[in-house]
Amino acid sequence: MLKVENLESGYGSMQVLWQLHLEVNKGSITSLLGSNGVGKTTTLCTILGSVELWGGKITYEETDITHLPTHKKVDLGIVLVPEGRHLFVNMTTHENLTMGAYPKEAVKHMAESFELVYSLFPILKERAKQRAGSLSGGEQQMLTIARALMTKPKLIMFDEPSQGLAPKLVGEVFDAIKKMRSEIGLTILLVEQNVEASLNLSDYVYIMHEGRIKAEGSAEEIKGSRDIKEAYLGI
Amino acid sequence: MILELLAGNLIHGLLLGCVYGLSTMGLSLIFGVLKVINVGHGPFIMVGAFVTLAMVTIFGTAPPVAIPAALVVGMALGFAFFYTVMRRLIKAPEFTTLLVTFAIGILLQEVVKFTFGAEYRGYNWEVGKIILTITTIPMTKVYASIGSIIIALLLYLWFNKTRIGTAVRAVVEDSEGARVCGVNVDRIYALSFAIAIGLTVMSGVFLTMFIPVGINPYMGGVYTLKAFVIAVLGGLTSPYGAFFAGLIFGLIENGAYVLFAQIPGVAPFSLTVSLAFWMLFLLLLIKPTGLLGAK
Repeated sequence: MLKVENLESGYGSMQVLWQLHLEVNKGSITSLLGSNGVGKTTTLCTILGSVELWGGKITYEETDITHLPTHKKVDLGIVLVPEGRHLFVNMTTHENLTMGAYPKEAVKHMAESFELVYSLFPILKERAKQRAGSLSGGEQQMLTIARALMTKPKLIMFDEPSQGLAPKLVGEVFDAIKKMRSEIGLTILLVEQNVEASLNLSDYVYIMHEGRIKAEGSAEEIKGSRDIKEAYLGI
Repeated sequence: MILELLAGNLIHGLLLGCVYGLSTMGLSLIFGVLKVINVGHGPFIMVGAFVTLAMVTIFGTAPPVAIPAALVVGMALGFAFFYTVMRRLIKAPEFTTLLVTFAIGILLQEVVKFTFGAEYRGYNWEVGKIILTITTIPMTKVYASIGSIIIALLLYLWFNKTRIGTAVRAVVEDSEGARVCGVNVDRIYALSFAIAIGLTVMSGVFLTMFIPVGINPYMGGVYTLKAFVIAVLGGLTSPYGAFFAGLIFGLIENGAYVLFAQIPGVAPFSLTVSLAFWMLFLLLLIKPTGLLGAK
């Protein structure tokens, strides 16, 4: 569904990604793992276009989207659940979700989308009229995911969705991700530091180190390979 | 006697405050969306005054007819300045944006001076007055205030009831968040800047309806200052905060004039002009986040 070839990018004159390649199959959960600062977030942001791309090619559903601006990619059904949430804290939960349904195609399906996200995250319905900034950390993370779902995505990219959450909530977030694949049929690209949980959830795994893909394989293969785990994941 | 005078002046202050409020909304909108302080704010008000002058003296229309013209001129200037200059400054250091917007202000002043000359001008529009026991209010002032309120309300509706208006609020809060929702953030920047300049130029029309004399290319400076004080009072990023702060400023300014006039040996007018500085000074000292809309 998504194919990234020889991706290079960075900030200013500092190159972060080198010859990066990855592929996400339709209906799969693919994880991008690696320790802090290896370029995982940069990879997602470059795919979406919020970080400038230096070279390489991005193909999505057989179309070359390398040079499309971010909003056009969102229109095509690619969405990012960003690290640090980036919610509109002075707007209500309901307004945040309405903003999620900003793409023209999403506006048409707004009612169904609301039903969908409220069934996935019933707590958000109770909080509909509350300011997003007044929600708890866990609720805010759910709202961020729900807002992304409102864009009517086909491919959803998560940037460390479990970051800063209590262990019980981490479980809930991973359950929600599982449901998105099984019940809505979304394709998922997951960036995580929670290695165990991601390995259990994923079909295919890429290991990143210093801006490059160092290893890849099915989740079972990675789990079975002591070398890879020791070298790049520190377990 | 002094109470009557004060009450009369406060009515004028409230009416003028509406226009002040409108004239500051654009400054707040630009700061909110682009995080740029438009030091060239006042000269755009001056452009509005000259649009009015041109409509009245050249085309012979009534001053309110200049409002749609001011919106068109303002938005055209807004888009032009955005795509030529401001677009490159979105991530620029603050000092650069201060210099550039200051330069835009000078450019406007000099172009207007080159075209219309530097002398003071004015126009006359008689549409009757309301005579109260304490004061007399020309209808032009009433119209200017009502017009300002209507435009502020329309802006409020646009922000809260339309898809694009909500997107502007989203960009003000978190531009990255808006981007991942599929908002074309660059277009929102351009549109917000154009609307903000449109508002500012329109407020220039209303200001001439309040004070139809003294229209000259350098009249904008004092309004830049007043708008800064009002914007800080209103919490900087909120256009509505700015509107209500405008009302407060109008009341204080006009009320203070009466009180200053009671002090023997004082020229009340110049003291009132300096009042804006004192208010800014006190505000920054006491509550730098602004009195209204502060988080």
